[in-house]
Amino acid sequence: MEKPEVDEPSQSASFEESEIEYVSYGGEHHLPLIMRLVDEELSEPYSIFTYRYFVYLWPQLSFLAFHRGRCVGTVVCKMGEHRNTFRGYIAMLVVIKPYRGRGIATELVSRSIRVMMESGCEEVTLEAEVTNKGALALYGRLGFVRAKRLFCYYLNGVDAFRLKLLFPRPELDISQMMMAHRDGRQEHSHDHLPQDQCCEDHHHH
Amino acid sequence: MDSATGDGGVPSSIASPIPSGENSVWADVTHLLKSACEDLREGELIHGENFDLFAAMSTLEIMDPKMDSGIVTKYYSIDEAIENGAAPVPLSFDRTVDIQCVIDVMDHLLACEATWHKGQSLAQTVFSCIYLLRPDLTSSHPLLHSYCRVIRATCKAAISTVSNARTHEEEDYFILSHGLPLHGDGDDKCLSILNAVEETVSRQLRACKSHSLKKRVPEDIEPLQTIPELEEGYCKAVLCRLRFRKHFYHLLTTMRRPQGRGLELAKKHVSSCLSELELMQKSAAFLRCEENGITKEDTPIETTASGCHPIGFDATLNSRICTSTPPRSIKTLSWVKATQYFKKLLEDLDIVCSNSLDQSLDEVLRFVVQFQKAQPDLVARSHLQVLLVEDGKLYGRDSMFQVISRAAALPQIPPNHEIQKHEYIVQLGQLIINLLKILCTNAAWQRRKLGKVLQDWRVIYMQLEMAFQKDIGQIAGIFTDQNLCKKVADHILMWVEEQTYWIAFRFLVLGFELELYSPAEYCMVYWYMYVVLIAQAEKAHLRMSAIHDTAKRKGKKKRDSLKDAVKDHQIHPAVLFLQCKICIAEGLAVMIAALRTEHMNLQIQSPFNREQERFMQHFDLLQKASIPDRVSYVSFKECTAYANISTLPMYNYFKDAQKLAKELKGNFSNDSDRMSELRKLEQVAEHNSVALNLISRLGNLDSSLKVSLEFNHHPYFATVVVKRS
Repeated sequence: MEKPEVDEPSQSASFEESEIEYVSYGGEHHLPLIMRLVDEELSEPYSIFTYRYFVYLWPQLSFLAFHRGRCVGTVVCKMGEHRNTFRGYIAMLVVIKPYRGRGIATELVSRSIRVMMESGCEEVTLEAEVTNKGALALYGRLGFVRAKRLFCYYLNGVDAFRLKLLFPRPELDISQMMMAHRDGRQEHSHDHLPQDQCCEDHHHH
Repeated sequence: MDSATGDGGVPSSIASPIPSGENSVWADVTHLLKSACEDLREGELIHGENFDLFAAMSTLEIMDPKMDSGIVTKYYSIDEAIENGAAPVPLSFDRTVDIQCVIDVMDHLLACEATWHKGQSLAQTVFSCIYLLRPDLTSSHPLLHSYCRVIRATCKAAISTVSNARTHEEEDYFILSHGLPLHGDGDDKCLSILNAVEETVSRQLRACKSHSLKKRVPEDIEPLQTIPELEEGYCKAVLCRLRFRKHFYHLLTTMRRPQGRGLELAKKHVSSCLSELELMQKSAAFLRCEENGITKEDTPIETTASGCHPIGFDATLNSRICTSTPPRSIKTLSWVKATQYFKKLLEDLDIVCSNSLDQSLDEVLRFVVQFQKAQPDLVARSHLQVLLVEDGKLYGRDSMFQVISRAAALPQIPPNHEIQKHEYIVQLGQLIINLLKILCTNAAWQRRKLGKVLQDWRVIYMQLEMAFQKDIGQIAGIFTDQNLCKKVADHILMWVEEQTYWIAFRFLVLGFELELYSPAEYCMVYWYMYVVLIAQAEKAHLRMSAIHDTAKRKGKKKRDSLKDAVKDHQIHPAVLFLQCKICIAEGLAVMIAALRTEHMNLQIQSPFNREQERFMQHFDLLQKASIPDRVSYVSFKECTAYANISTLPMYNYFKDAQKLAKELKGNFSNDSDRMSELRKLEQVAEHNSVALNLISRLGNLDSSLKVSLEFNHHPYFATVVVKRS
């Protein structure tokens, strides 16, 4: 669903980064702004109910970027329990073309991720088209890993990557692991088996 | 629902496309909706109790062309379309125009078929053809009728193979055919009708050729169409299209003969298909030609060879017949792309047909992996799978126990021995079947499934191990010979472990093919490949030695004992092949680590997590299954933390790999696939060896050196490229 930061903007707007104002979702008056941006820039069609689903349940996870009163970018997210994991999900991220390549998308999405982290999420996921190099680079810099490839995920037939950002957990601290290792205790043994995770992935068509 | 017409009334022409039922009646609710709308404010919604926000997400907006599949574009029903002349028979009363139009229908159908194979629904592609939707419609037109029949029969055959294979989990669109007349009366006899029509057209072609040579026409034959100068061109264009369909249908059905018995014949059909396809491509020049009496369109379309718009297609009709139709309009592949698709499909099927049907499991696995390198599409993959696994047997012939015996080099066990029925042996057989099926799926799905089955292989190993140790009484009861029992246990366990590492390595390699790794992660990926390969090579070596021991004992007396002793210490070429990869993987991991120490990029600093979280995410499934044992992020760090550019060349990773690759070529001269990989490995090793020397000499001194990794020699072993920025 992602489409920010495509390499070099062709007609870039001239502005100072400090002129960009970031606002958390503030109510129904923001909805048309978000919808217009997403409808114009993303390949998937969403009904108004889809937008409301996100912004009504998780208003704290949606942000808008304004430049001199004009909405130039937005991020829409959710979070919740997913197979025993509390997980954040980035549903839509858009920055309009003239404003790309200046870190607005990174700032928007980082704000959402920080709120997710503070809310107790263990990980954040999203899908991005394999052809969307800009988005993939952006999320790569933030520490997202390409967890899997989803065959013909989008209605337009393009494959997607499922990207995942795993937050550090205290028990995974390397210094402790090193200690455990030196003590001769084994991290792994044969009786350590994972729960089955074979639920199928949600597939848009 | 007709409120969208705006005037509030129900237009009489569409009053009852769906008749009222016993408990329902159509009523105009426009007024009610209008007054309800006046009361609603922005953001409000009328809903039942069970209609929550999540359910709301699945709603479609009526009359939004992006979402509303029921939106009326032209016709309400097939009958209405036919009544309005959307699919006339004949297509024209001018017989030349008629033939031209029929060829356009054939071409557009080919484009539709390829689009369907490539992942769109059958309803929106092939069955957007009104002639196909009404099998009786064409009965007065033998040419079109026979073509429509063979198309329906071919679709049915392809669906049967794909649904039989069940490789389609993510590609399930392919088999959705609910509500479509996939089987017209008499379609099973499609070939006899097609043959008759083909015979007629080939006589027409002969007749027009004799005519042009001023020979006497042997019999009184009515020409295909009315313009003598165009007769030959049209006859040829029609003939190759008919013959392509005939051979393609034959191909799909002969490939399905049990135990691969039709493969040889199928191969002949492949080559016939390919030559007819070539003739079709050549016919495009004639069909596009201005002199053939057809008025050309201003903007030629791409889905037919002639560039003319085909008659009788309407994709929107189906969106109401078939509920599974996605609401989006789709883009049909061009005719040129479609012919390219079929060429590729035929080549892939040809590879399937070239299977020798006498491979050991090890060879079968390599065959499938090699086949997948060409990235075959669903239909070809399904055919391979159906060939490999039939009735729970390899090639529908070898029982899974036979397969295991051969793979694990078990000693001779009497037929119908009890061990075959042992619970865990049966389960192991199931795992092999499952593995073969997974390897035939698309790479994305394959990787996810392989990641999951690793756990099953680990579990079966432990269960077998326990069964062989603890339930020794039970198992030994099966065997009268204790030595035989131990031997069987050892061989099976060794082989299961080796196979598990093989799967793990395939899982890692597929990550490259799917572009799941970013350059910042290559270091840990190569390191993980290295540890998995070592484990695999170790088990492979043990197994090969065991086989060698057995073989040696059998024929001991005849051989020179000194020579034997030398042979004993030799390592099997298959293991050395792994050794070569081990060297390259280790070399790459350590070299990238050293570059990182020198701050020459290839790493990222995330504000939200650390490398160890990314390590966990990539190798979670391997870690949870302890593959390999005692390997963790800590061991990765310990191996790579002290890598240093200046000392790197001393370790000779790449030089060793290069030497091994060179030496091994003699062992695999009969194996073209492995020969070609050896050449690639040699190139990677040689190239990296040079690059490494360069970096270690200049690295610290020259900050303008830019190092990047490219896959220009080998699909997953990178070559290091050094440039001055």
